[in-house]
Amino acid sequence: MLYLNRLKLRMKAFFQPDQLDHQLEDELAFHLAEQKAELLASGLSEAEAGKQAHLLFGPVTNLAEQCRDTRRTQWLEDFATDTAYAIRSLRLSPSFALAAILTLALGIGANTAFFATAYGILFRPLPYPAPERLIEIDEGMAGVGPITTIRSLAKAADYAGYLSNNQVNLFENGDAARLEASTATANLLSVLQVSPALGRWFNPGQEQAGQHRVAVLSHRIWRDRFNSDPAILGRKILLNEKSYEVLGVMPQSFTFPTPDTDLWLPIALDPRNVGYMWGGGNLFAIGRLKTGATLATAQAEIKPIINRTRELYPWRMPDLYGAAAHIVRHDELLAKQVRPKLLVLSIATLLLLLIACGNVGNLMLARSIQREREFAMREALGANRGRLLRQILTENLVLVTAGGLAGLLAALLIFEALPTLLPKDTPRLNEIMAAPSILLGAFASLLLTLSLFALAPLFRRKKRSSHLSLALIGAQLAIATTLLIGASLMGRTLWQLAQIDTGLKSSGLVTAHVSVGASRCPNRDTCNAFIESLNRKLLDLPGAQSVAWANFAPLEKNSSNVASEIQDHPRNPRDPAYVLWQTIATPAYFDTLGIPLRQGRLFNDSDSNVLIIGQSTAKRFWPNQSAIGKRIRPMSDREWFTIVGVVGDVNHYSLEGYPDWVDGVVYRPLAASFSNLPQSMKLSALIRTTQSAMVQSSITQTLQSAFPGLVVSRVTTLDQLRTDSTTNQRSTAFLLALFAILGLALAIVGVHGVIAHRAAQRTRELGIRIALGATPTNLLTLVLKETILVSLAGSLTGVFAAYALSKYLNSLLFGITIHDPLAFTLSPLTLFLAATIAAAWPAFRVLGTDPALTLRHD
Amino acid sequence: MSRPSDLIQGTLDLLILKTLSTGAVHGWAIAKRIQQISNEVLQVQQGSLYPALHRLEQQGWIESETKPTESGRVAKFYSLTKAGKKQLAHELNEWDRLSAAVQLVVKHA
Repeated sequence: MLYLNRLKLRMKAFFQPDQLDHQLEDELAFHLAEQKAELLASGLSEAEAGKQAHLLFGPVTNLAEQCRDTRRTQWLEDFATDTAYAIRSLRLSPSFALAAILTLALGIGANTAFFATAYGILFRPLPYPAPERLIEIDEGMAGVGPITTIRSLAKAADYAGYLSNNQVNLFENGDAARLEASTATANLLSVLQVSPALGRWFNPGQEQAGQHRVAVLSHRIWRDRFNSDPAILGRKILLNEKSYEVLGVMPQSFTFPTPDTDLWLPIALDPRNVGYMWGGGNLFAIGRLKTGATLATAQAEIKPIINRTRELYPWRMPDLYGAAAHIVRHDELLAKQVRPKLLVLSIATLLLLLIACGNVGNLMLARSIQREREFAMREALGANRGRLLRQILTENLVLVTAGGLAGLLAALLIFEALPTLLPKDTPRLNEIMAAPSILLGAFASLLLTLSLFALAPLFRRKKRSSHLSLALIGAQLAIATTLLIGASLMGRTLWQLAQIDTGLKSSGLVTAHVSVGASRCPNRDTCNAFIESLNRKLLDLPGAQSVAWANFAPLEKNSSNVASEIQDHPRNPRDPAYVLWQTIATPAYFDTLGIPLRQGRLFNDSDSNVLIIGQSTAKRFWPNQSAIGKRIRPMSDREWFTIVGVVGDVNHYSLEGYPDWVDGVVYRPLAASFSNLPQSMKLSALIRTTQSAMVQSSITQTLQSAFPGLVVSRVTTLDQLRTDSTTNQRSTAFLLALFAILGLALAIVGVHGVIAHRAAQRTRELGIRIALGATPTNLLTLVLKETILVSLAGSLTGVFAAYALSKYLNSLLFGITIHDPLAFTLSPLTLFLAATIAAAWPAFRVLGTDPALTLRHD
Repeated sequence: MSRPSDLIQGTLDLLILKTLSTGAVHGWAIAKRIQQISNEVLQVQQGSLYPALHRLEQQGWIESETKPTESGRVAKFYSLTKAGKKQLAHELNEWDRLSAAVQLVVKHA
């Protein structure tokens, strides 16, 4: 309170000095008047009393000055003068000011943007009440049956179920669209503690199959497709050819489970539908810890619940079922994938900022050496050292503030570009523009910069500053080396990824999702006939050579695993079954994708209960004999399937291969599998063509004009899918490379500047040396020696730093180790050479000068 | 006659704060009152009084208000703030200690 009062008084003294001075005058005049009155009362004459009073009072201006001094606003006034002076002196050397401000803007801008992004995605609380109490079950527990069981048994937390990316077809006004639906339980909103913006959410009764034809819309879809119609509640919409009642609209800020969710549908509990209830991972759990419960208590009760759940399964589950299940915080699980990458990028921008600060620091040093004479003069004229130091500090402060403002602008530009720079599936990308994140990022970067520069003037002694500038460029080179090694590691990864043979000929392949509605595909024969008619249309497309259909296109990271029993490899029912990767495809699939047949035959149209397997799978299970004729049975099926062919290996899941829990790869004929596919299924069409651009642009139109209401989505090429699947590495590589190049450029400019400055300072010395007969080689060695030593030390330090830091890149690297020898030798070498060339240039210039001239040089 | 500069450093602050403890007083009256109560021993010069008053005000121990005196002239009246009362208690305490110590030395040394 007292300090606040004092601050108020100071502010008043600073901003309203006139008013205070006026009061002071009045006060002193009053005293004088009282004095005079007293003297008059003692019997003096009017004139005599006035004279005496003044005499007693002493010089008024002196007293007033003393009173004013007590206000202690001197430093503030000095600061204002210093600031004005700093701005004036910076305007007198615009190139210095511009270089410093731009360099700082670059460093601060990049740093602010990535600190803010890292904070916004990794640390900023989620937009739910008490988000730290939201938990998920990671690994091993999923499905409608298991999750609803947990919901009813758990005591430490309230669990709800959700599933993302469950696509549905919406028919509205004769237009068909593919929407991202999320399936959820009725208690999801009470767990998240969120309410709909309009209408209501499902009630528990609507979770029962038959009662489940209700939907809640996202704000976006309500606005874009239904024109924000307030009468939407109670309206019926057509989803997958069935009528659903719209119950409510969620707030715009609600983005659970993903930002692209268009609508929410309830689960449809049906004990008779064993496949839906127990057959797969079609529901995940999110929970909220109850009062008094902790992660540990929630973890403790999950084991017995899993044991109970295992007994509820209609078939025997392995002993290891749910063994890996553990409770994690929802926000941590959400950020798990992007954490290493954002940390790497934040470290990179921090390093960039350090290089930028080093450059500006060197500029300031050079400038203060130039102004040595000015300061000496001012000191001689009576300015005290502290005062001069304060002035340099003020000048730096002005520079950093200007650089900070420009940096904030740069950060906003980077923010604009961020959604395109980072992969689309980055969580919470829509939230990072939030003001608190940006302010925090800017604050952190500025604080860092300021604290670095607060130290700078301490080194303003001539001898030390010359060593300091060399140390600074050494540090800059070290940091640039670290950045460059990081970028090269990512570059090497991209190169390795580009070398991967996926086992299929991806060029010239166009793919699209086609949704086949229940009305078009009611039974096997109609389905096949419909696919045939689609085929004919697709083969008419420009340059089309062959067409195939499958449940998924390769490289989409779709999960398509089937637990199976394999002939000759019996497993104890207590152990987990083999997991096989299953592609359901038409006979033309292998030719269209360029997958070679190794043994046996491909599918034919009349096939049923047959399988084709991958080469490695055949080798793994039947290493010394033919796999043809062997049999495999999916756990959910009664019948065995016979292997008729073996084909070349293909990376269906992703470029990097399959998840490590996949034991083999199988193919089943599509014609025989329609009964196994879900209603309103989506199929991937794969078209080999010589004119993929033409096909891409015309496929939707062609199909929809022939089959009105058919939903065609995600039209792309297989090459594009391949590129997209590496987007995580590519975006990191791109940004790291950008930072590394900027860092390298700044460091090289720094080296050049410092060496040029030092050479210029030594002109006279070098002139004397030339006059005394030093050879050009002697001089060059003299000038270059320290640069070479410094850049050698710098790049070596950088190598050590990168060696320690590269572990953060581990999850992004592919095909190389985190200490890849190529990256760790080429990067420092590049830097060393660049620095030497940058230093050699000014060195050569000095050599070209006339010794006579340099001797006269002032 | 003792001049304020002969007073122990900080004593003037104590005298002013003590004088103000009975209510709001203006500068002239403060000087007069100190003079009267000390039986004319302590004469506070305006050259010390006003800087001291302004310093105490800037430190937030006293606050001022302009209002008319009994004679009708407008003057600046000073009074103690809450923090000022605390400061006075603290300084009185210090003064007691100091004077007791001086007494001891003077009597027994």
